[in-house]
Amino acid sequence: MPQTDYDLIIIGAGPAGSTTARFASTAGLRVLLVDKRQELGSPIQCSGAISGHGLEAAGIDANPEFIHEAIYGFAIYDEAGARTVHDYRQLKPDDYGSGPGKKPLGYVVDRRRFDRYLMTQAERAGTEVWLKTEGVGYQPQADGSCTVALRRYNQDITLSTRVLVGADGLQSQVGKWAGLQTHIKITELAGCLQFIVDGVETEGLLEIVTGHEWAPGGYAWVFPKGHGYAEIGLGVIATMTDKPAQWHLDKFMQQSFFRKRFANARILEVQGGGVPLAAPLRTQYADNMILVGDAARHVNPITGGGLHTAVAGGKIAADFLIGHLQDGLPLQEGALQAYQNVWLSELGDKMWKLYGIKTDIFHNMNIAQRDEQLYATMSDYFSPTSEFKKI
Amino acid sequence: MSKQQPVLFSIGWNACINCGACVAICPQEAGFVSPFDTIAVDRPCDIACLLCESICPVDTITHVAVMQQVPQPALVVDPSRS
Ligand SMILES: Cc1cc2nc3c(=O)[nH]c(=O)nc-3n(C[C@H](O)[C@H](O)[C@H](O)COP(=O)(O)OP(=O)(O)OC[C@H]3O[C@@H](n4cnc5c(N)ncnc54)[C@H](O)[C@@H]3O)c2cc1C
Ligand code: SF4
Repeated sequence: MPQTDYDLIIIGAGPAGSTTARFASTAGLRVLLVDKRQELGSPIQCSGAISGHGLEAAGIDANPEFIHEAIYGFAIYDEAGARTVHDYRQLKPDDYGSGPGKKPLGYVVDRRRFDRYLMTQAERAGTEVWLKTEGVGYQPQADGSCTVALRRYNQDITLSTRVLVGADGLQSQVGKWAGLQTHIKITELAGCLQFIVDGVETEGLLEIVTGHEWAPGGYAWVFPKGHGYAEIGLGVIATMTDKPAQWHLDKFMQQSFFRKRFANARILEVQGGGVPLAAPLRTQYADNMILVGDAARHVNPITGGGLHTAVAGGKIAADFLIGHLQDGLPLQEGALQAYQNVWLSELGDKMWKLYGIKTDIFHNMNIAQRDEQLYATMSDYFSPTSEFKKI
Repeated sequence: MSKQQPVLFSIGWNACINCGACVAICPQEAGFVSPFDTIAVDRPCDIACLLCESICPVDTITHVAVMQQVPQPALVVDPSRS
């Protein structure tokens, strides 16, 4: 292998990219991490819920710099407002709580601060970071390396690297550069809208509202956001409604069983995004290239949560690449399939299983039955006995 | 899908929340994006599946049909006026 400018060039400094960068740099790889944004995480396209376990497993401190509020459990509602509560302060009072020696179950983070924090940790580990730098293409070379084309403050730059890591999120272009099948079905991408609001009380729980009436194809949520703020949002599947998410969110706030609770809501921020309730990409690698995080659709198909899976996937990708590059193994002609195999056994197989459960629910055309199934599945999913607790 | 007439998308920027959902659903090749993280609005889309319009959470994407192979109007520069 000829000398290259970097061992890894990572496109996208979201949670997946920065986590990959941090572990890779710590092990001594030469890493360049680029992001086209001027301020990471902004505009926010995320509700920011992540488990304490998810942070810990990826070696991330629960740092006040990025935490909005600690979370102690879940409340899942059916369409009419009946609820199942899993409050870990009551379920496991010795472990979870706000008192001394106890910990939260998870956190709601501020993505602007979270992403910046993770980038900083990568930089401190030795990663070189370039903001305002967009990845525009890549080209595997006959010598076994590849070149990556970047545009930085209007300047075109081409660099050589051993591996390109596509961590460029749901709108990923890197996979498309390599000709991978990245297209997501319209029946599996929820269009989401959320408001950060003042004047709505919360109780340290992530609240999930099911029911076709409020969020056809998806669900609605109310999350605590710290400082007495809350977030109200929902996602809908376009083929199940002829109205946009905005219309459904207005309806949810004005007509649902929560209308009194929301009566004094004052909107502080408006955010949105697409959430894939879909399977991981079948092929997440190409010559000199692997995908991680949303770009590989490493997203929980039931909850749409992708933060835990992004940082867990980042660690898996880095651990794999460290070994693979140190051993001087080939990087082309299918050699990087080994990455996907590791990912599948550590995380992916469970996600495929969740996808199966999710698909069964949404293939049921009887709305009342489907609502019932979704409520039961969500209620079970967040219970302490769930087999998927660690995703 | 591909039998559709090409369309040119237009985004009501006042309502757009830069959420990127339109790009995420777009089946076009790499690069069919605007500088504001939305689908491209400066060239026609020949797929015209309109999935971006249906996913947009604030319903702010519209389109007009364009003729196939529109002859590009030549940019006429009159040197005497410069
Ligand atoms: C409304 C909404 C709510 C959500 N709520 C939750 C939640 O509560 N909990 C949870 O776990 N998950 C949630 N998710 C999912 C979560 O946001 C994603 O799974 C997560 O952001 C994935 O991280 P990532 O690092 O893979 O990608 P991203 O966070 O999308 O990061 C990608 C980065 O790549 C950069 N980039 C893209 N293209 C280029 C390029 N060509 N060149 C350079 N840089 C580029 C972008 O600027 C960005 O910084 C939510 C998503 C949405 C839309
Ligand atoms: S889906 Fe709509 S709101 Fe989101 S970026 Fe595209 S045009 Fe803007």
